[in-house]
Amino acid sequence: MPLLEIRNLVVRYGEIEALRGVTIAVEQGQVVTLLGANGAGKSTTLRAISGLAKPASGDILFDGHSIAGLGPEAIVRLGISHVPEGRRVFPGLTVKENIMLGASNRKVGASQISREADAMFDLFPDIRAFSNALGWTLSGGQLQMVAVARGLMAKPRLLLLDEPSLGLAPVIVQAVFRIISQIRKDTTVLLVEQNARMGLSVADHGFVLETGRIVLGGKPDELWGNEAIAAAYLGGHAKSHA
Amino acid sequence: MDLVLQLLFTGIGIGAVYALVALGFVLIFRATNVVNFAQGEFSMVAAYLMVVFSVDLGWPYWLSFLIALAGMALFGVIFNLGVYYPLRHRTYLPVIIATIGASILLSNSVLAIYGPQPQVLQGWFDTPGIQLGPVYLDSQYLLIIGVTILLVLFNFWFFEKTLLGKKLQATSQDKEMASLLGISVSTMIMITFIYSAVLGGLAGILVAPVLFVSIQMGSTIALKAFAATIIGGFGDVAGAIVGGLALGVIETFGAAYISVPYKDGFAFLVLIAFLVFRPQGIFGERVAEKA
Repeated sequence: MPLLEIRNLVVRYGEIEALRGVTIAVEQGQVVTLLGANGAGKSTTLRAISGLAKPASGDILFDGHSIAGLGPEAIVRLGISHVPEGRRVFPGLTVKENIMLGASNRKVGASQISREADAMFDLFPDIRAFSNALGWTLSGGQLQMVAVARGLMAKPRLLLLDEPSLGLAPVIVQAVFRIISQIRKDTTVLLVEQNARMGLSVADHGFVLETGRIVLGGKPDELWGNEAIAAAYLGGHAKSHA
Repeated sequence: MDLVLQLLFTGIGIGAVYALVALGFVLIFRATNVVNFAQGEFSMVAAYLMVVFSVDLGWPYWLSFLIALAGMALFGVIFNLGVYYPLRHRTYLPVIIATIGASILLSNSVLAIYGPQPQVLQGWFDTPGIQLGPVYLDSQYLLIIGVTILLVLFNFWFFEKTLLGKKLQATSQDKEMASLLGISVSTMIMITFIYSAVLGGLAGILVAPVLFVSIQMGSTIALKAFAATIIGGFGDVAGAIVGGLALGVIETFGAAYISVPYKDGFAFLVLIAFLVFRPQGIFGERVAEKA
């Protein structure tokens, strides 16, 4: 049984149908990458999984149980952690406080959370020095590290990562992806990327979304091998972003 | 010089009341992005609760005080569920109008029960005050200042040192992200309303022996407190406290040295000056909307 299974998911924003019957499966222990152009529905898929967007029809199964229609607070308690587009680090809280709040889905004491947050800096040494800096003072790459560290504090069984490379310098993008390949040892990851080359480099499986539909799915080398697709969705974007 | 010290004491005393109400304004504004126009009525309702328990029922002052504050906590729950919660997914405008409606409902309900004549509430202490050198320290003002200092310290500890305080801050900065982390946004907003109602209520109970207990007392205090939040820097906690104290001192000195009838006018003159020359207030916007 897959850890996450999405069946015929339809999500509407008012009149607009953002997802028009998306079906994907994420197996336990995998990194699965969702590729596609702007507006294809990648973020909407993640928002539907984490409960920010309500499905109009279709189903989302986590560990075999339907989570479609649950609120975000309930879904993160089940073990799905969403690191959304734009990082959304709380600007008026410090780095450490931001990371500590990532454990809000678990019932653990403040001192335990503080110790876990300190341990998180072992995985993200670049932000250790900024532990007491306020969120708004950080650079894009630092914000991304904080956002991922905060997402991991939930001890998720499934981590949803939305465009972790967006707006970052190539060297920072590589650092972020090194972390993703470290995370994957313990956590299943569903990754959304425009940067196809980076996105597929860490993936076990990839899906390509186009205007709210999955048009292609397969192992990374199969996706690279499909020439028309590679040119349209992978090569072009990889060149312009990598 | 003696007069200056005396006026400073009185000004800080009345300013502390503005500061408490202003703090209530700011906390609700930060949590919900809405200015609560019924904030002053929180003070008014609490003062009338004191009249009910202490004067009408004749209960001991301290007991009436505690029960009135507990009543205000309950009032915060009802206010949240009745005024904010049903409209929480709407824009700020329906919520603001609902708070104005609640304010009208509250003052007219109290008017229907107690009539227009002001009520009198005794102060906490039997001794009217103490003479300290040249300055006469009114016992009620001393109490107001003492309680405000304690509350400011509590407020700092609560928001800066506790995890719950951090969750409240996170909720006020980005509700959607807070909910993604598993923070119960509706619980955080409920706590904010309870806390603000107790703060406003405390201000009302403390100032009641200095003023009269009337249905207008809320709107007078709230108007000054609102001016204080703008002077201090809108949405800023420290700004609310500094702005409140500054306003109390300014209007007390203005009344003493320039004109007593224009006492309320000085507060608004300062407000206008700030709006023209420094609209971001003393502390300004320290946190950018989006990082």
